[in-house]
Amino acid sequence: MRLRVYRYDGKEEGYDDFTVPDKEGQTVLDALFFIQEELDDSLSFRYSCRGAVCGSCAMLIDKVPRLACRTQVQEVKEEEVDIARYQALEEGKSVSDDHILIEPLPHLEVKKDLVVDMDKFFENYGKIEPWIEAKKGLEKEHLMDPKRVRELEDYTNCIMCAACFGSCPVNGEKEGYLGPAALAKLYRFHKDPRDKRERLYLADHENGWWACDFYTNCRTVCPKDVPPNLGIGNARRELESEEDED
Amino acid sequence: MKEHDIYEHEVLVIGGGLSGLRAALASLEEGADVAVISKVHPLRSHSVAAQGGINASLGNAPKAENDTWKDHAFDTVKGSDYLADQDAVEVMCKEAPDVVLELEHMGTVFSRLDDGKIAQRPFGGAGVPRTCYAADRTGHNLLHTLYEQNISEDLTFYNEYFVTSLVRKNGRILGCVSWDFEEGKVVGFASNVVILATGGYGRIYNRSTNALINTGDGAMLAYDVGVPLEDMEFIQFHPTTLYGSNILITEGARGEGGYLLNSEGERFMENYAPEAMELAPRDIVARAIITETEDGRAFEDEFVHLDITHLGESKIKERLPGIRQIAKDFAGIEPVQEPIPVQPGQHYSMGGIDVDTFGRTCIDGLFAVGECACVSVHGANRLGGNSLLETVVFGRRAGEKASEQLDERGSYDMNMIQEKMEEDRRMIDALLNTTEGSPYSEVMGDLRETMFEHFGVYRNEGSMKEGLLKLKQIKEDYDSIKIDNENRRFNTALVRALELRSMIKVAETVVLGSLKRKESRGSHYRRDYPERNDEKYLQHSIFTKTEDGPEVDYEEVTITQFKVKERGY
Ligand SMILES: Cc1cc2nc3c(=O)[nH]c(=O)nc-3n(C[C@H](O)[C@H](O)[C@H](O)COP(=O)(O)OP(=O)(O)OC[C@H]3O[C@@H](n4cnc5c(N)ncnc54)[C@H](O)[C@@H]3O)c2cc1C
Ligand code: SF4
Ligand code: FES
Repeated sequence: MRLRVYRYDGKEEGYDDFTVPDKEGQTVLDALFFIQEELDDSLSFRYSCRGAVCGSCAMLIDKVPRLACRTQVQEVKEEEVDIARYQALEEGKSVSDDHILIEPLPHLEVKKDLVVDMDKFFENYGKIEPWIEAKKGLEKEHLMDPKRVRELEDYTNCIMCAACFGSCPVNGEKEGYLGPAALAKLYRFHKDPRDKRERLYLADHENGWWACDFYTNCRTVCPKDVPPNLGIGNARRELESEEDED
Repeated sequence: MKEHDIYEHEVLVIGGGLSGLRAALASLEEGADVAVISKVHPLRSHSVAAQGGINASLGNAPKAENDTWKDHAFDTVKGSDYLADQDAVEVMCKEAPDVVLELEHMGTVFSRLDDGKIAQRPFGGAGVPRTCYAADRTGHNLLHTLYEQNISEDLTFYNEYFVTSLVRKNGRILGCVSWDFEEGKVVGFASNVVILATGGYGRIYNRSTNALINTGDGAMLAYDVGVPLEDMEFIQFHPTTLYGSNILITEGARGEGGYLLNSEGERFMENYAPEAMELAPRDIVARAIITETEDGRAFEDEFVHLDITHLGESKIKERLPGIRQIAKDFAGIEPVQEPIPVQPGQHYSMGGIDVDTFGRTCIDGLFAVGECACVSVHGANRLGGNSLLETVVFGRRAGEKASEQLDERGSYDMNMIQEKMEEDRRMIDALLNTTEGSPYSEVMGDLRETMFEHFGVYRNEGSMKEGLLKLKQIKEDYDSIKIDNENRRFNTALVRALELRSMIKVAETVVLGSLKRKESRGSHYRRDYPERNDEKYLQHSIFTKTEDGPEVDYEEVTITQFKVKERGY
């Protein structure tokens, strides 16, 4: 299989083509390692778990944000992923049948090759004050309904890979938009029965809940089935009904 | 940053996994100025991958109401094949309920029983259901909780910094030196206390369930400045890892009724453990699979089948969704219809930096916690659910103890740190400037293969001696590895080469320990000495660095309340 890989060394940008031998079960991450080890050791990319749990390796694969370690080389061309198109996808080289196109995640500054600046993503996460404020000094655990736990899990499953951030057309247009992951995280704390504070107001502004246009790309590309769009919709409804009451 | 690229913090934690984040939080809460240095963003640490759970005698599960810390301690000591230090085990098991409840109070969304209490599941080697869990993503949930808590305390993080050396002077720690990936330069850190929390050394093996970054850096760093390593030959192998990527296929798949089949379609466990069959202890199943492979009854001479098809689609989807997803994503297999190809793989590093129950090493101000340390609570074999527990119990203890010591210290000694920075700069330049020789990846591949082949599930004198010779060659090859690019920023090849340096040093101790321990105990199985020998080897192996490589000595095991017995299940 041929891979066409985006390159940037701080000065020049471009694309390099590499041929990687076909192998059963080979992931895009394996292929990148093959390139790095056998063909060109200057290639940079992030990795850690190689098992789709750590969130290091999100990148644009054939113009879809995906985890490199969870994407099988042989299946890229077969898999149809239906996402709304947006500006960032129109840039760079275009997809073709004879190679897989590998590019850094959109909407984050590229530092080198496939390594992007994640600071902005984590700053947004920080803005929603992502920690619980629960009653202290309990002798036992808080009791929680197992059903509530399962609902929360939809949101706690987020691995902070930023695939959604790179897939969201609004993030491309609005510099300050908190983005799907941060909002999903905020919703997770809001829904936690143990949390003792008001939360929804933290994103009750034009770069928060109200910026979302419900393209639902976030949901489609999320490797962990987190539904940011649902959390955002619910939060808006709650805020609206609060307003009605006032 | 002050002059000469040296940062200053009272407490430096190296590692952003569970043990590092728990230690950092404890020191922060005591008012110390703390920073965490990590070669990856903390949430990418290996801890995030832990699935099954964390042990504590909460007694929540039906039939476990009378569980006590003593029962937990007994199971742990027995599981360790009596090599664990019983005083350390007591500390861990006594503090377990408290640390787990504390994590719940900090926000971890644990799975619940119908009555709303934290759910507990049965785990291998435990008398009762004692393992608290958050679905099959316990590590992920705990790590996020601790990260959140540290963010709320405004902890300083240095992410994507690779620590290359510790700096010590006369038995006292001064700080460390590290490589800043992004800037591509050497920076120093001056501190009163350094807490190593760098995780295990699983990746010295080519088949491993560990994250790719688990290369034993911390063990090497401590060893290099004269701290002994302990029990390095004890490596846990998991019987069922996915063929190809060696991603863990949890015991749960066999627990739910999965069969292990050889290439002749036989449930071969009949010949090894006719009663327990597929549910025999991990080491026994792992050895059985290797024997089948050696005797020519594996598929492609590599793997056996884990067959769950007979469980039926609905049960698989309900009880083993994670396993199904892994098989599909990483082997392109639908386990509802086809068997899963599995083989044994390295899973856990029992050995590590020699510390006391506060994580203190023999160097004043230097601590170590988590999988990089050896307290020793796991002895010759770790029980599932005890290592997550170890990270938070000893992380907390070390963090608290560290902050007690801060007042006793004077000002920072920058000269020594600068000297070390200069030394590491030269080492890195040399690596970057070598363009003739073997690529790092080749040498790394040789090392990993050698370790699995000669120091794997089965060991014996002849094969290990062959392995020893290969390791000598690998060491020589390392001296002339080349890097074909001169980039300084985000140079992945350079970081891999630095990791390989740690791996080789750590492997040397594993090799020596395995050769010298002429018995079989827990995970260490020698075909030439298949019995446990308490008279000679109810002892910890202690490794120290000398001019000519590692030396090994032996030290008494601490025994308090549990008499040494045979380890029958
Ligand atoms: C697949 C799998 C499943 C598991 N499941 C369970 C389970 O269910 N229950 C259980 O109890 N245990 C389990 N374990 C074991 C457990 O996950 C680990 O022992 C534990 O998470 C180790 O935590 P740690 O904090 O010591 O290290 P890690 O989480 O490995 O963190 C190490 C940190 O050190 C940093 N670091 C390393 N070297 C350097 C360097 N040179 N410079 C700077 N930073 C560095 C890394 O960046 C990282 O942040 C499992 C292990 C595996 C492999
Ligand atoms: S919501 Fe999904 S896509 Fe977005 S950061 Fe979390 S895991 Fe990644
Ligand atoms: S390497 Fe961890 S998610 Fe891909």
